[in-house]
This record gives sequence, C-alpha cells and structure tokens, in this order.
Amino acid sequence: MDFNVSTFFLEIFNFLILLWVLQRLFYKPLLEVIAKRKRFIDQTVSEANTTRQQAEALRDQYQNRQQQWEQEKQAALDSFNQQIEAERTLQLNKLVTDLEDEKQKLQVTVSRQQEEFKMLAEKQALKNGARFAALLLQQTASEELEAKLTSLLIDKLSTLPDECSSSLHLLKTEKSIPIKISSAYPLPNELREQLELKLNALIDGTINIQYFQAEELIAGVRIDIGSWELNANLQHELSAFAELADEIV
Amino acid sequence: MENEFYVALGLLMISGSIITTWGIMLVIACLAWISTRHLERLPDSVQTTVETIVSAIDEAILAVAPQHGRQILPFIATLWLFLLIANLVGLIPGLHSPTRDLSVTCALAVLVFFSAHWFGIKNLGLKNYLRHYLSPSPILLPFHLISELSRTLALAIRLFGNIMSLEMAAMLILLVAGFLAPIPILMLHIIEALVQAYIFGMLALIYLAGAMQSQQPNS
Repeated sequence: MDFNVSTFFLEIFNFLILLWVLQRLFYKPLLEVIAKRKRFIDQTVSEANTTRQQAEALRDQYQNRQQQWEQEKQAALDSFNQQIEAERTLQLNKLVTDLEDEKQKLQVTVSRQQEEFKMLAEKQALKNGARFAALLLQQTASEELEAKLTSLLIDKLSTLPDECSSSLHLLKTEKSIPIKISSAYPLPNELREQLELKLNALIDGTINIQYFQAEELIAGVRIDIGSWELNANLQHELSAFAELADEIV
Repeated sequence: MENEFYVALGLLMISGSIITTWGIMLVIACLAWISTRHLERLPDSVQTTVETIVSAIDEAILAVAPQHGRQILPFIATLWLFLLIANLVGLIPGLHSPTRDLSVTCALAVLVFFSAHWFGIKNLGLKNYLRHYLSPSPILLPFHLISELSRTLALAIRLFGNIMSLEMAAMLILLVAGFLAPIPILMLHIIEALVQAYIFGMLALIYLAGAMQSQQPNS
C-alpha cells in the first residue's frame, strides 16, 4: 500500500520506453503489412471489378453483335429466300413456256407425221388402186375395147382445143410428117382409114403413117406426131392415175 | 507485502515491481521482435495470430473513436498488452503482479490522465480543448476538474485494489486450503486479470476519445 515515488516515475518511464519499442518493432511494421495487404486486396478487387466490367462490356458487346448478326442473318435469309422465290418463279415460267413450246413442236411434229403417214397411205392406196386397175384392165382388155377407145379418139380429134389445132397446122411446113400409131392389138383397116382421114383433115400436108403393135398399151392407141403425142389407151390412163397419186403426195 | 524488495541505486529505489516490469517489457519486446521479423503479405500462423490480436484491438478502438483510432492505437494497445501480462504474472510462483503496487497503477493512471490532455490538445488545440471545461457553463469548471482527478484516482485505485485483493485472497485460500483448490483459484485469477486489464484499457480509451471529441459537433 506504500507509494514509492521512484517506482512511480520509473514506471512512467518504463511504459513510455515500452510504448516506443512496440511502436517501432510491433505496431508500425504490422500495421504497414496489414495496410499493404489491404491495398493489395483492394487493388485485386479493383482489378477484378475492372476485369468484371470489361467482361460484362464484352459480353454486352457480344450479345449486341450476336443480336445484330441474327438480324443480319435473318435479313440475308429473307433476301435470299426472295431471290430464290423470284428465281424459282422465273425458272418455272420459263419451264412452262419451254414445255408449251415443246408441246407445240411435238404437236406440229405429230401432225406432220400424221400428214405424211396419211399421204403415204393415200399414195400407197392409189398405187394399189392403179395396180389393181391395171390387173383388172389387163384381164378385161380386148380388141373391142381397143376399137371403142380408137373410135373415141377419132371423135375427140374432131373437137381438139385451139392450141392443139394451131400446133398441128404449124406442121404443114414440113415436107413429110412421120406419124407413129401404136396399138395393143392390130388395128382393123376400117379404123385405120378413119384415123388417116381424120389426121389428113387435121394436118394439111404429106403425112407418113406407120403402125406398130405395143402390148404395154393394154388397150387403145397412141399417136406420135413429132414431139406431139396423143394417147387413147389404158396404159396412159393408168400412168396418169399413178402421176395423179404422185402429185397428191 | 510488507517485505517489499527494494534495491537502492543512488537516489532511485528499484522495487520488485520495477524489476518485474522490466522483465515484462523484455518479454513483450522479444515477442514483438520475433513475431515481426519476417512479415509477409501472405502470413504464416504466427503472423496471422499477431495480426488477429492487433486487428481486434484496432477494431475495438475504432468502435469507440472512429476518427482517431490509429492515433491512439499504440498507447491503448500497449496499455492492454502490458496490463494483461502484468496481471497474469502473479500466477508464476515467486512473482507478484506489478499492478498490485499502487505506485505502478498510479503511474499508469497518470499516464492516461496526461495522454488524454495531450491527445485532446493535439487534436483540438489548446484553446478549444480548455474551452470544454467551461461548457456548458463556467460554473461547472470545478466539477470538471474534480471529475478529472477523481476518475484518474479511481482508475489507479481500482486496478491496484482488485489485483492486490485478488492475490491476497488467493494467498489466504492457499494458506487455509493448501493445494486442494489451486485450479479454481488460478482460473479466477486469470479471469480477473483479463477483466481488469480490459476495464482499465477501455476506460483509458473512453477518456482519450472523450478528450479528442469533446468539442466536435457530432461527438
């Protein structure tokens, strides 16, 4: 319970020394390292925040770019679809047009082929008809028929067209006019005389008539006066019939 | 008690309390030096423990004086550490706590008294600091002065009385009961030592904070 002045002042002095020592050795370095760590933590947190903000900015930028890209993609897709649709419509129309042209061409070709086939059939029918008529006429040909045809020729000589008559008149400048008369059967004299009379009447000049037998005439006669020829025979009629078929084709 | 140890060194009388104080100072200084030799940003276990202690003291000070915490940290922390070890030294056989000596507790109380004025004048200026003794009315000046002296005296007497009575009680119990009940007594001694160190340091902290913030509008 005693109060000692020396102890009192020494204790004050001791405490101040302890305070100084601890301040130098303990508090100051410790608080510095704590502050240093706090600064490091703050800096790290700041950097982390900065990095986070940059990451968020990049994320926002990426999202915006993605949205923009999606819009661009959608726009490009729409445009592409429109182009495809337009091109498809164009190609479809062209295809329809081509098909229509091809159809018309085909129709024309088929029509032409049908026409050709029809003409060939007609030609063949005419040929067959001519052949049939030739066979039939060959079977039915006779001297009487030839005589009738000759008589018919003689009658026709009286009513020749003007062109024929004028052509025959031109022959009178010739000294001798050779006339060939061909027949399938030998012509009876009576018919020969009638023919010569008619020819003399038509040709005002000296005529030289020669008679020939030509079985290919089937029936009837053929008169050759120079380059002029008069036919009144079945062979000539059949030939005309065949030529008619050719003309039709 | 009566056989107090003294060594005469000229005019100075070196008491046992002073020698014990030197020992405590040496231990604290050595521990402080050892624990702060290799401070790293990434602390080891020892550094973590030391930082935890200092951070706890710092937080306690900042809770009372948030604006001047770092300024009074060394004084209050030294007071706490010294008192804690000084109060616990009595547990070591053959040693007595320096705080059972009235001269020591008075010295500490006077240090707190002058520290409060020192920090108050340093922060507020002499004029502003002395003005608070006249507020709200100059009539209260004597009461302020009595309050200053009485609280300093109470600070010294409280610590001295508690520690001395604790050691006396422990000695009496040991004399009466022998060594049958040493552990509860030791536990009581530890708790009392911690509580008294905390109370002294906290009161000193409140006095210092009050002195520094007495003229501030939001104090």
